[in-house]
Amino acid sequence: MDEQKENDVIVEVHNLVKVFKDFWQRPKVRAVDGLDLEIRRGEIFGLLGPNGSGKSTTIKILLGLLHATSGNVLVFNRSPRDVEIKARIGYLPEESYLYNYLSPCETLNFYGRLFDLKNSVRKERIWQLLEMTGLTHAANRSVGEFSKGMARRVGLAQALINDPELVILDEPTSGLDPVGCRQVKDLMLTLAKRGKTIILSSHLLADVEDVCDRIAILYNGSIKALGSVNQLLEKQESVRFTMPSLSPDVMKKVLELIREKIGKEPEVDHPSMNLEQFFLEVVEKAHKATSQQSGVAPTERMADYLLIKDK
Amino acid sequence: MGGGQRFMMLRIKQFLAMAGLTALEAIRQPICLLLSAGCVVLIAAVPLMIMHTFGEDGKQVRDSALAFHFVFGLFIAGHASGTLLSHEMKSGTASAVLSKPVSRELFFLSKFTGITVVVMLFSMCAAIATLLSERVAEKFYFTNTLTGYITDTQTGAMLFGAPFVACLVAALINYRFKRPFASTAFVMLLFSLLFVLVMSGFFERNGTWMPYDFHVQWRIVPVSILITMALVVLAAIAIALSTRLDTVPTLVISSTVFLLGLMSDYIFGRFAENSGFSAFLYMVVPNWQHFWAADALSGGGNVPWEYVINAGLYAAAYSTGILCLGMFSFRHVEMK
Ligand SMILES: Nc1ncnc2c1ncn2[C@@H]1O[C@H](COP(=O)(O)OP(=O)(O)O)[C@@H](O)[C@H]1O
Ligand SMILES: [Mg+2]
Repeated sequence: MDEQKENDVIVEVHNLVKVFKDFWQRPKVRAVDGLDLEIRRGEIFGLLGPNGSGKSTTIKILLGLLHATSGNVLVFNRSPRDVEIKARIGYLPEESYLYNYLSPCETLNFYGRLFDLKNSVRKERIWQLLEMTGLTHAANRSVGEFSKGMARRVGLAQALINDPELVILDEPTSGLDPVGCRQVKDLMLTLAKRGKTIILSSHLLADVEDVCDRIAILYNGSIKALGSVNQLLEKQESVRFTMPSLSPDVMKKVLELIREKIGKEPEVDHPSMNLEQFFLEVVEKAHKATSQQSGVAPTERMADYLLIKDK
Repeated sequence: MGGGQRFMMLRIKQFLAMAGLTALEAIRQPICLLLSAGCVVLIAAVPLMIMHTFGEDGKQVRDSALAFHFVFGLFIAGHASGTLLSHEMKSGTASAVLSKPVSRELFFLSKFTGITVVVMLFSMCAAIATLLSERVAEKFYFTNTLTGYITDTQTGAMLFGAPFVACLVAALINYRFKRPFASTAFVMLLFSLLFVLVMSGFFERNGTWMPYDFHVQWRIVPVSILITMALVVLAAIAIALSTRLDTVPTLVISSTVFLLGLMSDYIFGRFAENSGFSAFLYMVVPNWQHFWAADALSGGGNVPWEYVINAGLYAAAYSTGILCLGMFSFRHVEMK
């Protein structure tokens, strides 16, 4: 019974409240206010909301870093303060969280040693992760001198070293270039396909729209909208066609027919690429044209161990 | 491997990884190198600064050197334990580590252990410098070949040179292998002092070749060990406070505890028999007098090892108590 439940619901939050208090224990901020959530195995769940809406606070409570003021939280059907469940979680925090004087290689090695992994497995994963994040050529520089996006990549690699079942990403794309963003999104999709559960917090709508199965929109610590992306965005009352360009007189006929049927003028335009697609094309071309690399090398490689299907 | 054994192995592995990282972080801070090298230079300079005294050779040198060891050690222990943990909590690195399967207790203890290791390395530097500096100080000699005051200038020069050589070597290593300067220089300082100690064993005070005859007073070593214990106790106090307080309040409170502890006998001890409150404070505030045994060395005296062991037990009991409070506090603290 419990077994069954654990298999389906990974995170369960019921009526969660978090009030930050000041030194004298007087309430200061009500960061989370009566939150209810249920996140199921294999889904990509988006926590969407403006700055300060309580996304990071909720995530930190899920990880046992902050303590709920009231309400129930279960992760893998256990209390978030249970140390054991952390072995199944990967967490990318929102901002600076890396030891500045370590190199990416040392960082991954350090975090890897906190898990019950064989040395050979750890070394292999470190190598694959560095390759996946395009940091092999910077593997021995210290993280302190990295650009924000590069540090972010180290953070992402760090979160995946234990091949987690539940991946929690707090604004993963902040500071990343569009190639990096695309990669992170692809990574999330790949992980989800393998049955991993992903919680993604973001205020960037494009991120969420592209990958999330379900989203919750937070405002002032409570959920204002919850559901699947399609469900929330679908406009039942209008329809759009996309087709090859038509010759002028066919076009005229079609428009006439529509006008006659609905009694008003339909909108007509050419579908355009969105900027993201365009940017990715340009970078891809430029990358093919050069051989030397100073920043991050765009790669499409995924770390092999992340691709292995669970039995 | 059984489940329990495997669990223990993992805990030990985690503990070593985190303690090692803490020690590394502590010695990568330039202040640590600055204080250690400064302490060694000052100890080396003591023989130059004092008049020679009749009879009690080296007493002044010894006392000043040990005092430098204590004071600089307090700065290192206080600074490291007051800043490292609170910095990790503020910058979010603590959150990142605690989102891994690491218990808060283990994290806290590993921080303390890392700092203790650094304090011990520093103490080794200071103790070697003290031994050598005492050797350098003038001594009255009476053998069939020579009579009079002899200053061991050769050892003195080597002792003085050690910190500079350490920095030079570290700079070269930094240039050649890109290893961070501060930590390399700190480690090199210890190595160069050990080297000087061994070298001095090959020479008479007047510079003649005389292998394996260390003219150092090993009886200073127990006194240095006692000082190290006091430093570790202070580190425990500071790190326990830093689970809740910022660096500045932590340092203020630790210094207050330190000063109270220095005067413990005088302030509380006198009244301990009549007043329960005084007796309580007398027990709770660490009594540094237990750890200051330099006076016992005068007139050729020794500090018995039983005393060192007892003081060690006191220090261990005291720090264990403090660390338990610290762990309890850290378990419930909120991470950024
Ligand atoms: N440690 C803290 N102490 C006091 N207030 C906090 C703390 N952390 C977050 N807050 C407040 O809680 C609210 C939610 O913050 P957060 O969860 O970080 O927002 P988000 O991640 O959605 O941008 C904000 O008003 C913020 O100021
Ligand atoms: Mg946030």
